[in-house]
Amino acid sequence: MTSLRVQVESFSSEARDLESAGRSRAIVEIRDVGKSFQKTVKQSTAEIKALAEVNFSVRENEFISIIGPSGCGKTTLLKMIDGLIPCDRGEIVINGKKVSAPGPDRALVFQTFALLPWRTVLANVEFSLELRQIPKAKRTDIARNYLKRVGLDEFENHYPHELSGGMQQRAGLARALVVNPMILLMDEPFGSVDAQTRQLLQEELLDLWQREQKTVVFVTHSMDEAVYLSDRVVVMTPRPGKVAEVLDVPLPRPRIADEVRRDRKFVDLTNYIWDSLKKAMVNHHG
Amino acid sequence: MVRRFGTNVLSILSLALLWELAGRILDSVLIPPLSRVGFAWWKLLASGKLLSNLTLSLATLAAGFFLAVLLGIIVGVLMGRFRAVEHFLDLYVNSLMSAPTTAFVPVLIVWFGLGVESRIAVVFLFAVFVIIINTMTGVKQVDTVLVEMARSFGAREREIFFKIILPAAMPAIMAGVRLGMGRAVKGMVTAEMLLTLTGIGAMVMQYGSAFATDSLFAVILTILLLAMITMQAVQWVDRRLTGWKAEIAIE
Repeated sequence: MTSLRVQVESFSSEARDLESAGRSRAIVEIRDVGKSFQKTVKQSTAEIKALAEVNFSVRENEFISIIGPSGCGKTTLLKMIDGLIPCDRGEIVINGKKVSAPGPDRALVFQTFALLPWRTVLANVEFSLELRQIPKAKRTDIARNYLKRVGLDEFENHYPHELSGGMQQRAGLARALVVNPMILLMDEPFGSVDAQTRQLLQEELLDLWQREQKTVVFVTHSMDEAVYLSDRVVVMTPRPGKVAEVLDVPLPRPRIADEVRRDRKFVDLTNYIWDSLKKAMVNHHG
Repeated sequence: MVRRFGTNVLSILSLALLWELAGRILDSVLIPPLSRVGFAWWKLLASGKLLSNLTLSLATLAAGFFLAVLLGIIVGVLMGRFRAVEHFLDLYVNSLMSAPTTAFVPVLIVWFGLGVESRIAVVFLFAVFVIIINTMTGVKQVDTVLVEMARSFGAREREIFFKIILPAAMPAIMAGVRLGMGRAVKGMVTAEMLLTLTGIGAMVMQYGSAFATDSLFAVILTILLLAMITMQAVQWVDRRLTGWKAEIAIE
């Protein structure tokens, strides 16, 4: 056990930060971010600390995952990066500019897909372009193009409820991609689809990411998913969420799912994350 | 659908037959056979009396119902969107919703007199509260994730309202409009019977007190027919606006 620990210490990315600084610049900087919520139960209001002193940065074109136990504030953090929720303390800086509201450089993919049930798939994908005042003919063109890329071109006239969960999320992904964001924010996007579809979607996402050159911030509670997809994994502690550690994933790309999952480094790293999460949870409760 | 239609026709035919037989066997003024009612109906139609009264009634109905839909949706949306408006108004809306609206007729006579304004006001009062409450509920129940999604893609308040909240609340709003339509017809007949004897309500009172039961039933059947037609009209609009919801419900 000890030898494994020592061995995997090298995953820890502090040292690599320096080494890679020249290769890629930080595009998102999360500085000392904290967030509390007021929760009212039976007339008494309690303050719940969701996040405390969160610090890390995301590099350009990097695929980074945030993993942590439920309720650790990882979704809150993602929505703060998107600008939907303001920070109580600290700041989030994107490309040198402080985040205060949602912006065209970011797009969010939702766990529950958040498709409009009264619109067809095509009209749903066009929705984000519509809000950016793209003329009708042009947005239909763009939307069709992306529907093809996510494999939904045959389903543009279907309504969301006529599609499977996996297909609905493909539409959600297309809606985010059509506005050509620099940063794709994904909130447990494959959390509500079945296991086989999930693997398929993961592979497709990696494929897309490799072609599109985007920065992805991916929230998940699956260690396997985090390691398979990411360049780095941010492990968070239970509430109030803090960064327990940031780990490099030393697996070469392109990653073939079946091979990667058998790779010794993949197994070691998922085990290490599991230990790290367990440790954080024990410390929290102890 | 075909099966249902067939059963409906069967139901009407058997009731008609029962009615006709009962009328002929009992041979009483209380239950005129359906054939005589049909004849009375034809006479009323031919004399133009039914149509002129119906036109008068429908004008009242249309005016009162239109105002109820317009104000009902506006107030309902405001109550659903703003906590303060809801808390300010829900006391009155809820109590007026379940209060017997007929009791307000004397007040309306004092305020609006005995003219058409009073009848429109009765139709309005009968219909508006159920539309308010349904609209408010629909607006409040809009999935917050959809609003968040729109906001995340840069939607302004106006766009959030017209592209998310209104279409999402439309099924509930239309349910309110449908219920409001039924109440509006009740309001119309009530006003015509209690306020000033006009329109189709006046015909009910007139034939009722004269024991002209064949004409009375002819008018009552006309009212039933009117209620059915107006309801179908609202449902037709509903299907146009919220067809997507119906499909989800079927699955």
